[in-house]
Formats: sequence, structure tokens, C-alpha cells
Amino acid sequence: MKSNSLWAIIILGGFIGLFFWLRTIDWVGMFDIDKHTRDTEEKLGDLFWEHLGDEGEQITDSLTVAAMDTMVSRICSANAIPRDHIKVHVFRADVVNAFAMPGGHLVVNSALIEDCKNPEQLCGVLAHEIAHIELHHVMKKLVREVGMSVLVNMTTGGGDGGQVGEVVGALSSKAFDRDMEREADMKAIDLLVTAHIDPHPFADFLYLTGDGESEEAFEWLSTHPSSKERMEYVLEEIGKRQFEVKPVIAAATWEELKTNMQTEDTTNYQ
Amino acid sequence: METLMNAPLDHEMEKASNSYLMSLLALLVGAPLPIINLIATLIFYLGNRRSTYFVRWHCTQALLSQLSVFFLNSYGFWWTVSILFTDVSISNDYIAYMITVGLFNLFEFISTLYTAIEVRKGVHVRWWVIGHLTDLICKPKA
Repeated sequence: MKSNSLWAIIILGGFIGLFFWLRTIDWVGMFDIDKHTRDTEEKLGDLFWEHLGDEGEQITDSLTVAAMDTMVSRICSANAIPRDHIKVHVFRADVVNAFAMPGGHLVVNSALIEDCKNPEQLCGVLAHEIAHIELHHVMKKLVREVGMSVLVNMTTGGGDGGQVGEVVGALSSKAFDRDMEREADMKAIDLLVTAHIDPHPFADFLYLTGDGESEEAFEWLSTHPSSKERMEYVLEEIGKRQFEVKPVIAAATWEELKTNMQTEDTTNYQ
Repeated sequence: METLMNAPLDHEMEKASNSYLMSLLALLVGAPLPIINLIATLIFYLGNRRSTYFVRWHCTQALLSQLSVFFLNSYGFWWTVSILFTDVSISNDYIAYMITVGLFNLFEFISTLYTAIEVRKGVHVRWWVIGHLTDLICKPKA
């Protein structure tokens, strides 16, 4: 009996001791798992972008590209985010929506730009989506929705077009979970404040567009938590900060950008 | 390791040895699903409940040996499932756990194979700890 207890302790101790010794080794770094994850994300981003690029009508005139680049660059450079991490695409679509895809692709619909009252509101939405990218929410959401095995299968040529379409559809129309949305809102305020962009218009955008407008038309809002609730916690957070603001783009450029969103012949200019 | 008072007959040695081989066979067939090994040895155990003491004893020891790794393997199995299908990511803890469990399984596999061979020869192989538990569960019929 005594000998059995001793053996039980030796075996159990051996298991626990081996496990604790092995967990001190940096296996993730040794096998470069983070790099493999990044590669998978990049491949998925390219795959989804290829699909989306074929589906929609992209607005690529020089003014739109320059204006969007100015806003995104301002946010990125102030927050030490490599500019080439974020790839902005503007699509002509009458649904107010913007969403992030793997690999740093950020899609903005023309209706959303049209609906913004000023460039700061648009910067708020961009900062929110950049926050999702920087916080790795996109991959977390995808893995939750479809599973890592399906995603890896897609990147190795196993997924068909229909499956890719479904996943892209889920990315553009389904919400992140409540915690992720809140986290992205808070991070967006950080990004805006650091870039000297007034975050108040972002809260206004949440309130104004969420009030009395059709949810169908405002897909970006319908996929997010209650606008009123968000506006409240965003304003509360802004109230805690001290910041100075500088204009984002010239008023004339902004007006021209909004006009471009309505004009058909500015698409596929370059 | 000890020899039973009454030397087992050839068919008893074969049945007792098969109880270990059953778990090895199940391991090859259903490797990713830890429950398969346990079910296979459980079925064999239930089928030999009325057999001789030597056979019953080894079926019980084979079952208990599977049960001991079943919990370790199940935890590893569901951890892997959560990595594949949820947002849990691969960590140093996960890799360390899988290596530890893998080594224990290898040790268990070799021990099972050795026991199957020895029991086929009529040698009464008792495992540490598990042999004692088997004594408590499996008693000779009066």
C-alpha cells in the first residue's frame, strides 16, 4: 500500500513537473507560430479582397484616394501604425457600412462617406475599424464564426468561391461581440486624440445616424451595439481626456469628396 | 510482477493478452478520439466479466490503465478542438501539455504492448498503482 502511494506520487509529480518544465520553453517563438498566423491572415485578406473586388464597384479617382489616404495616414502616423498595414478601399454602395477584413483591408461604402457631416465623423469610423484591425478582432471573429480549420483550408486552396463569399458576407454584416465593439470604440478615441482629431463628431455620428434612421440602410450601426449606449460611453471617455485638435482636411476637399461619392463617372479612374 | 498460484490455461492467457491488444488496436483506429480506446476496453471487460479470475483481473487492469490516460487525453482533445473551432490560440502551455501527454501516452503504449506479450506467456504483470486498484476491484470468486 505504502509503495503504491509512493508510485502514485512519483507518477503524478513526474507529470506535473514535466509539464511545468516544458511550459518554460518558448514554443510559440521557436515554431514561429505568430508568423504563421500573420501569413494566414495575409492570405485570407488577399483571398477575400479578390472576391470582394470582383463583386463591387470601387471608387479609385485621385481625389478620393488622396483624401482617404490623408485621413488614414494621419491616424496611422500619430499612433505608430505602419501605414502599409491599412489598405483602404472605397466602394460605391447605398448601404451605410464600413468593415475590416483580414490582412488590414478596410472597406468603406460611399453611402457612409456621404452620410458623414464632416471629416472628423469619417475619421471616427475609420479609427474604429483600424482599432478592430490593430486589436486582431477580425481574425478572432472569423475563427469564432467558421473555425481555424476552415480558414486554413481556404488559404491552401480548399475553399470554394461560395464559401469565401459567405465568410466575406459574415464579415460585412455580422457584429463583433459587445466587448470587442466597446474595446474598438475606446481604442478609436485613443487613436483620434493622439492624432489631434476631435473625437466628439464620432459620438455625434453614432447618435445622429442611429436616431430615427432605417436600420436596413445603416448596416454599420445595425451590426453594432445600441448607438445611444455607445454614444454615452464614448462621450464619457472623451470627457476624461485633454486634447488639442487640428483640421483633418480642407473644407473644399471634403465637399469634393462627398460630391465624388454621388458622381458615377469618378469610378475606376486610375 | 508475479505469477498466479494457479497457472492460467492457454485460452485464458490469450483472452487476457487480448484485453491489452484491444486498447492498442483502438488507439490505431481512433487515435484522435480518446474515448474510443476506453469504450473498446470497456466492451472487452464487460464481455469477460464471467470469465476466470486471471482473465477478469487483466481486463480490469487494461480498463483502468485506459481510464487513467482518458482524462489527460480528453483535456488535450478538447483544448485542440477549441483552438481549431474557437478563438483560443496556440500557447506555450498548450504545446507543453500536448508534449507531456504525448510522452505519457508513449510510455503507456510501450507498457501495454509489453504487458500484452508477457501476459500471453502467462506472466502476471502488475502495473504500479493500477495493479493495486485492480486488486481492490477484482476479487477471486469464493
